[in-house]
Parts: sequence; structure tokens; C-alpha cells
Amino acid sequence: MLREFILIAFTILVQMSVGAFIVLSVVKFFAMRKAGQEAADLMGDRSLVAIIVVLGLGLLASLFHLGSPLKAYTAVSNFGTSWLSREILFGVIFAALGFLYTLMQLFKWGGAAVRTALAWLTALVGLVLIYCMAMVYMLPTQPAWNSIATPISFFTTTLLLGALAMGVAFVINYGYLQKKNPGCADEQCELLRSTLRWIAIASMILLGIEFVVIPSYLVSLAVGTPQAVASAALIAGPFGMAFFFRLILAFIGAGVFGLFLFRSTQKEGEVKAMSNLVIAAFLFVLVAEILGRFLFYSSQVAITI
Amino acid sequence: MAKQLAFYFDASACTGCKACEAACKDKNNLPVGINWRKVYDYVGGGWIPDSKHPNILVPNNVFVYSTSTACMHCQDPLCANVCPAAAITKRDDGVVLIDADKCIGCRYCEWACPYGAPQFNEAEGVMTKCTFCEDYLAEGINPACVDQCPMRALDFGELSDLRAKYGSISAIEPLPSSAISHPAIVITPHKNAQPSGQGTGQIIKLEEV
Repeated sequence: MLREFILIAFTILVQMSVGAFIVLSVVKFFAMRKAGQEAADLMGDRSLVAIIVVLGLGLLASLFHLGSPLKAYTAVSNFGTSWLSREILFGVIFAALGFLYTLMQLFKWGGAAVRTALAWLTALVGLVLIYCMAMVYMLPTQPAWNSIATPISFFTTTLLLGALAMGVAFVINYGYLQKKNPGCADEQCELLRSTLRWIAIASMILLGIEFVVIPSYLVSLAVGTPQAVASAALIAGPFGMAFFFRLILAFIGAGVFGLFLFRSTQKEGEVKAMSNLVIAAFLFVLVAEILGRFLFYSSQVAITI
Repeated sequence: MAKQLAFYFDASACTGCKACEAACKDKNNLPVGINWRKVYDYVGGGWIPDSKHPNILVPNNVFVYSTSTACMHCQDPLCANVCPAAAITKRDDGVVLIDADKCIGCRYCEWACPYGAPQFNEAEGVMTKCTFCEDYLAEGINPACVDQCPMRALDFGELSDLRAKYGSISAIEPLPSSAISHPAIVITPHKNAQPSGQGTGQIIKLEEV
């Protein structure tokens, strides 16, 4: 059981940081066009540190599920056939590029164009990483995992957690800027408002995707192999409560709070409300996604003797 | 040199005594909780009321047979393909081996194997599994399980030879379909054997396996 919790921590933390990095890159792209390089950097740079810390914690966690963690460095040697090797390799590359980009961004090394190109490259590696993470579970002996739902739900979790985590990061950053230098507050406030609006819209869309994928996945299990049926029975039976909360918390977080967040971004002077709503949405969705990943690992019934 | 060593198992002869399991455990000095060879007892059938005496139940197609399993040294070893550390290799003679020095103990092979062959050694932090008694083979001695069977239900040899001699059945209940990994196994089925994936029975006494 401890092993499952380590894997939940690893996959959730890594996916959240990859998602956050991708969302940050997209937000900065639009912020730059709207308010210029300096304002975009001011808005996003501090959150890079948080992304790197979360990513580092995730990668560190993965070591604890190994029987022989000291030999972990050899885990990329079967790159040719093992998706696990590929996952680890792209995880390390993503972390290295992300760390380099963070340093370049914080200390303004290199030109702005070089840094932007590096950010997009890192984001691309992040997408490949999430794909590899999903492929790790596509084993012919594991019908509950060997489904198109695995990559789709890994990508939705990545983007949903990433978007809401960045929403929280932007809110915290704005609070910090306001205290330090009230002069820049107006432009930053406008950027924050429009960013949170799009985060709210993205969250509601991603929730919609989850609410299509989850029932279709359960139906596909229920009509599948005896092991797939057993997995569906586990989700509906012993883990029914976890499944219920997984759905309801995601709905409240990304749906209800997402909608209120969207509406609060349309009003003037609602910074406090926007901040509270995005933090609440993030916390609800985080718990929902952790429960979802818990179900993913616990409902697995292998084709074996 | 053999191209694909394989085990042969005669389910029609096996009495389920588990001597093979004990011989393997003894020869390889396996700790509690790890058995490279396992014997599963598979039962089916039921009881129906007698037509003249409805209070009396009579057996209806009741059967039990045993299946002795170990690593199948598959022709398409999923464990070796998925191992991130390239610690599992298939030798030229078909034997699939785990290199404990390379294994990082991630237990990914455990998820991939359809036979439960790779087993985690908690104390050593690495995966272990049947080695086909490769040290014995090098000395010209038979694998411990084969020689220990009182019913002569186990044999080994080149897969093509075994198939020529005993046929090509490689999956009966409770074994999974052989299409997953093409196991190097030849089975003579028990008279009550059910096809893989279409069984109506169940494994009993799992705590004894």
C-alpha cells in the first residue's frame, strides 16, 4: 500500500508541475503580447521556483518505491523497449531544462528570444513525458490500465492541476507585488483577471472531458475481460465512496468554483473573491485527482494466475 | 545449443503433491513468501439434488486438477522488454534471467508478467525468479523440480522437441492465454482441463500455493 501512495505522490506532483509549466508558457505568451516582456516576467517568474520544487519532490518520491534506490541511475538503460526507461529519461530531461530555464529567467541570462524558445522546448518535453508516463501502464496483462482512458486522463489531470496550480501561483504572486510595489498593481491586476478567466474556462472544459471519459471507461471495463469486470466491480463496490468523492469534488472544484471564478473575473475590484475561488477550486480538484489516482492503482486486476 | 529451452508438464499425471515446489525452494534457498515454482489446485463442478431423494445432494461433474507453474521463459518475455534497467535478459538458449546486480527493485516486471514469475525479495531489494537451474544445466544436471517429481510429470528440453513429442498445448485453466507472451511450456492436459479464459472453476487453497 505504501508503494501505491508513493506512486500517487510521484505521478500527481510530476503531472502538476508539467501542467503548470505548460500553462505558464501559454499565459506568458499572451501576457507578453498584451503588456510586454517585463510585465509577463513579473507575473510568472516567481512561480517557476515553485514548479521546480514540486517537480523535485515528485522525482525524489519516485526513488522511495525502489528496492535498490542507489542503482536508480541505471533505470534509463532499456530505452529501446521500456516505457519506464523513457519516462525516467524524459523526466530527467524535463527537470534539467526546467531548472536551466528557471535560472536563465531569474538571472536574465541569454536573450528573451532564447529563453522563450527554451520554455517551449521544455513544455514540449513535458508533453512527451506525460505520454511516456501513460504508456508505462499500457500493459497487456493489466486491462484496467491498458485503455485509451489512461493517456487521456493523464493529460487532463496534468492540464487541470497545472492550470489551477498556476492560478493559485498568480494570485500569491499578485499579493506579493501589491505589498511590495503598489504602483504596478493595475496592469498586473488586469493580467491576473484575464488569466484567471481563461483558467476558469479551461477548468470547466477539462472537467467536461473527465466527465465524458470516466463513464465511457467504466462501461468499457464492464463489458471487457473478466479482470476488467472485476476492476469495474471494485470501483463500484469497495471503492465506491472514493469514486463518489472523486467525482463530486472535481465537479465542485472545477465546475462550481470554476463558474463562480469566471463570473468574478467579469467584475471590477473582485481580487479577494477571485483569489479565494481559485484557491478553493485548486484544493478541491487536487483532492479529487489524488482520489482518482488512488482508484487507478487500487482497482487494477491483473491477467495472471 | 538449444534455441528455446522449455518445461513440459503432464497435468494428467500430477497429483498436486508440491514436491517440485519444495525441491525448488530447497535448491534455491528461497525465503518465506517466495516460491519460484508454484502448484495451483483448480476445482470445478457442483452438487445437485438426487431425483429420488431431494434432500440428498450428489456430485455433478466435480473435478480437481493441479497445475505446476514457474517462469515460462517466454519466447516474448514482457518482463525483459519492460525492465527499465535492462536487468532481465533472454539467453541464446531461451532461458530468461534476472541480473540481481542490475535490478533496481522497481517491481515493474511483476505488473507485466502474466504468470506471477518475478517475485520481490524484500531483504535484498531486488526481483527474483526461476533460473531454470542454469547452474545445474551447466553441470549437466536436470532442474531440481524435474528430478524431484515422483510422478514424472515434469520434464524439460528444446521446445520444438517437446512439441513434437507431446503436442502444442500451452494454456489450460488457470493459466492465462499463451497469446500474451508465448510461453515456453508444453502441457498434457488433465482429462477435466478447461480451456484458458473459459473456466468455470476456481483456484482453491491459495494460501498453500
